[in-house]
Amino acid sequence: MRRSAVLATVAVFTALALTGCGGASTPVSGAGAGDPAAAGAGTGGTVHFLLSSDYSHLDPVRGWDGGVNNFYRLIYRGLTTFGAGPGTEGTKVVPDLATTTGTPSDDNKTWTFTLKDDIFFEDGKPITSEAVKFGVERAWDPEAGIGSPYAKLLIDAPKDYKGPYVSGDLDTIETPDAKTVVFHLKKPYADFASALVQPNFVPFPKGTGAADAFDSKPIASGPYKVESYRRGASLKLVRNPHWKAASDTVRAAKPDGFEFTFGLDGATIDERMLAGQGADANAIAGAIQAATVARIQTPQIKERTLSGYMGCTTYMSLNTTKKELGDVRVRQAINYAVNKDTVVAGDGGTTLAVKATSIQPPTIVGRVDYDPYPTDMAKAQQLLNDAGLGGGFALTLDVRPVARQQGMAVAIQEALKPLKIDVKINNIDTSTFYEVIGTPAQQHDAALTGWCPDWLSGATFLPPLFDGRNIVAKGNSNLAQIDDEAINKRIDEIAEMTDIDAANAAYSELDKQIMEKAPIVPLVYEKNVTVIGGNIAGAYLNDSFSGGIDLVSVGLEDPSK
Amino acid sequence: MARYLAGRIAGLVLILFLVCLFTYLIFFKLSPDPAVMICGKTCTPERILQIRTVLGLDEPFLTQFWDFLSGLFAGRDYGSGVNLIHCQAPCLGYSFQTNQSVWEMILDRLPVSATVAVGAAVLWLLVGIGAGLFSAVKEGTWWDRTLMNLALGGASIPNYVLALALQYVLVVKLQVLPFPSAVAFSDGPALWFQSYLMPWIVLATGYACLYARLTRSNVIDTLAENFMRTARAKGLHPVLTMRRHALRPALTPVTTIFGMDFAALLGGALITETVFGLNGVGKMAADSIAKNDQPVIMAVTLLAAFFVVVGNVVVDLVYTGLDPRVRIR
Repeated sequence: MRRSAVLATVAVFTALALTGCGGASTPVSGAGAGDPAAAGAGTGGTVHFLLSSDYSHLDPVRGWDGGVNNFYRLIYRGLTTFGAGPGTEGTKVVPDLATTTGTPSDDNKTWTFTLKDDIFFEDGKPITSEAVKFGVERAWDPEAGIGSPYAKLLIDAPKDYKGPYVSGDLDTIETPDAKTVVFHLKKPYADFASALVQPNFVPFPKGTGAADAFDSKPIASGPYKVESYRRGASLKLVRNPHWKAASDTVRAAKPDGFEFTFGLDGATIDERMLAGQGADANAIAGAIQAATVARIQTPQIKERTLSGYMGCTTYMSLNTTKKELGDVRVRQAINYAVNKDTVVAGDGGTTLAVKATSIQPPTIVGRVDYDPYPTDMAKAQQLLNDAGLGGGFALTLDVRPVARQQGMAVAIQEALKPLKIDVKINNIDTSTFYEVIGTPAQQHDAALTGWCPDWLSGATFLPPLFDGRNIVAKGNSNLAQIDDEAINKRIDEIAEMTDIDAANAAYSELDKQIMEKAPIVPLVYEKNVTVIGGNIAGAYLNDSFSGGIDLVSVGLEDPSK
Repeated sequence: MARYLAGRIAGLVLILFLVCLFTYLIFFKLSPDPAVMICGKTCTPERILQIRTVLGLDEPFLTQFWDFLSGLFAGRDYGSGVNLIHCQAPCLGYSFQTNQSVWEMILDRLPVSATVAVGAAVLWLLVGIGAGLFSAVKEGTWWDRTLMNLALGGASIPNYVLALALQYVLVVKLQVLPFPSAVAFSDGPALWFQSYLMPWIVLATGYACLYARLTRSNVIDTLAENFMRTARAKGLHPVLTMRRHALRPALTPVTTIFGMDFAALLGGALITETVFGLNGVGKMAADSIAKNDQPVIMAVTLLAAFFVVVGNVVVDLVYTGLDPRVRIR
C-alpha cells in the first residue's frame, strides 16, 4: 500500500489511504508505556480516540487501510485475525470465528473452515456459514467492493460474477452445513489464512448491506456496536451484548465503550495529549507531528510515549525507462551516493525514522537485514564514469509539498550534487500526486513515495512493486517500470511455494536480487510515535496495523475516572 | 420595489448558474481523476473504468452538468439494481470519498459554521462599533490613539497565530477553557459557550479591529457634516444629537460591510474551523480540497457563492431602509 495509507492510519489523510498496511512491530526507541494485551486495564469506562480524519468506510468491503482495519476489529470478526500483543504476537494469524486457521486440501487450492459455537451478530442472530459466504461475496459487488482485492484475486469465480445483490450465490464458496464453509481458490495458495484477515472476509446476515447501508449503520459481530455516528465528526461505540468473550481469544474488550472524535487539527491533538487534562487522560491518538518531537523528551511525557515501526518503506523510485536511468550503473551510483542519514534528518530525525537499506521493512517476516549500497561517493563517481555520465545529468524528482517529504527531497538533492546530478524537485499537489506518478506517461525520472504490505509478508510487498507484468497505463504501482525476466520468473516460483516460511525466506533473497538492479533507493523506515493519556492501560503498537495502538487491548487503568 | 426585487433575484440566479458552470468546468477539465484516487493499490485500468462508470465520469461534460443541475431541482438516481440510490432534491451528489449525501453533510455542518459566525459577529459588532464610537468621540486624545493602535495591531495578527497562541495560554497554561469543540447547546449551555468562546474571539478580533477603525472614521466624518452643526445649533442634547442624527448615516457603510462579511462567514471560517477542529462548512471545504472530493468542493463553492450573492441583495435592501437617499420607488 502507498505510504499515504499509513498517514491515514495516524490520522492525517484518509483520502489516499486505500489499502491495508502492515505495521510497527517491535517497539523501537522510547517504547515504554505499552503492556502486553490489556495488562493493567480495568473493566469499564470509555476510551477516547482523537483523530484528524474520519475512517474511510465503516463497510469492510469498502475500507482498507491500517487505521480502519484496526478499528474494524472492534466491531467485526473474521474467520481469522491477527493476534493481540506487542512484537510478533500481533503478527501471528490466529483463528477468530473459525476453530482453526483452516484445513487445506487439493494442494492448498481448497480451504475448509469450521465455525465456533456461541458466535452472534449484534441482533442476537447466530453467525452461520451462510453469513460468512454472503459477507465474502459482497467483495465482488462492482459498487461496494472497492476495498481489499484479495477475495477477488484468490477465490475462483466466474468472470461475470458481480456479487450477491446482482448475481446471487457464488458456487465456489460452499456451505455444506451451518458451521462449515469451503473456499475453492483459483490456484494453490498456502497463505490463505493471512489473506482471510483482510476486512472483506467479514460475515453479514444474508441480503443485508445493499448500497451504502453499512457505511452508516454496520451490523456488528465484534465486542462493540455503533451507537451513534456523525461522519467526519464523531463515532460512539457501546458494548455488543451478544458478543461472548469465551468465543474470542483475541479481543480483551475492557472498556464499556469508545468515543472517536474526528476532524481535529494535528497540532491541537498533540497539545491535548501532552496536556492530558480531564477526559484526555483517557485518550489515545495517532502519530505526533514532527514539530512535537522536541516536546516529548521530558520524563513525564516519555513514559506516556509509544514508538514503533509503521511497517512501510519510504523510497525513491528510479524510472528505468528514462534515458540515463535505464543504465543499471547509474541507478547503482545514485544508491551509493544518497546519504540515508541526512535523509533521516530531513524526515524529522531518528525519533521519527530509521535509515532503510533493504526494500522490505524490518517488520516483514523472514526479512534479512543487509545493506547493498553503503554510502560511497568514490564508487558512485566511478560507476557514473563507466556509464559515460561523469559530467552529470539532470533528474526530475516528483515530491508532495509536505514538510517531511520536502526535507528528504532536499537531502537527496544535496547528496547528488557532488556527482553533478542536478535534481529538480517537482512538487505535485497531494491530491494529484499518486495519479501522476501512477501514470507512466506522466511520471518523471524519480518519485518520492512509499509502500506498506497488506500483511507482514513479502508476498504483498515485492510483486506489486517489481513485477513487470503489473505495469499499467493508469494506477501503476511499479514506478520503476522494471520488467526483468528473472525477477518475474522468481516471483511466480515463490508464489507457488506451499511452505510459508520458505516463501518468506525466498522473498528476502528476491529483495537482494531486485536491489542488484537498483530500481529504487530505499530511504527510511518511518516510525509511529504516539502519546497516550495518563489513565490508559494495555496500549502497545501492533505490527499489523501500521504501528497503531491495538484497539482490542487498550483500556483504562482506573475506569471510574 | 417588486420590479427591483425580481431583477435582483434574476441576477442572483444567473450568477449562481455561472459559478456552478465554471466550478464544474474547472473540475471536469483540470482536476485529477477521482477514479484513480479511489482505486488505490492493486488498481487496474479496468477497475478505473468501472469506477468512472459508477460515478458517471464517463459521460460527456454537458450530460454530467445537466445531471448535476437537474438533480438540484428534481433529484437524481445513482448506481443500479439493488445498489440504486435515489438522491432527493436538492441533490448535490454523494461524496467520492465517503459516499455520504453532500446535502446531508452540509446540513450537518452548517449549524456549526452558523454558530461560529453568529457568535463572532455579535462580538465584533459590540467591540468594534463600541470602540469606534468611543474613539471618534474622544478624537485626538490618548484614548483615541491607544485604541486605534490596538486596532491596527489586532488586525495584523493572522487568525491561525492568534488561535494557537490563545489555545496555549487559555487552555494549556491557565486551564480556564476547554479545548474548543463543536459541542451541542443541549449538552449544556455553559460548556457550549466555553467551547465556542475561543473561536469567536479569534474570528472576531480581526473584524472588530477593522470595524473600530471604519466606525471611527465614519462617525468623525458625519460629525463634521452641516446637518450635525444645525442639530447642535438647535441646542439638542449631545447624546440625542449623536443617537438621532449621527449614528444612522455613520453606520450605514458599516452595515454594508457587515452584511458581506457575515454572508461570507456563513460559507465557513476555513482557518478557524480547521485550527480548532470544528466540523463546520469551512473545515469540510478544507478537507474536500485536500482529498479532491469534487462533489463536496462543488457544494461548498456553491454554498459560499449563494451566501455572498444573497447577502449582497439583503444588504442592498437594508441599505435602502437605512438611507432615504437611495430608497427605491
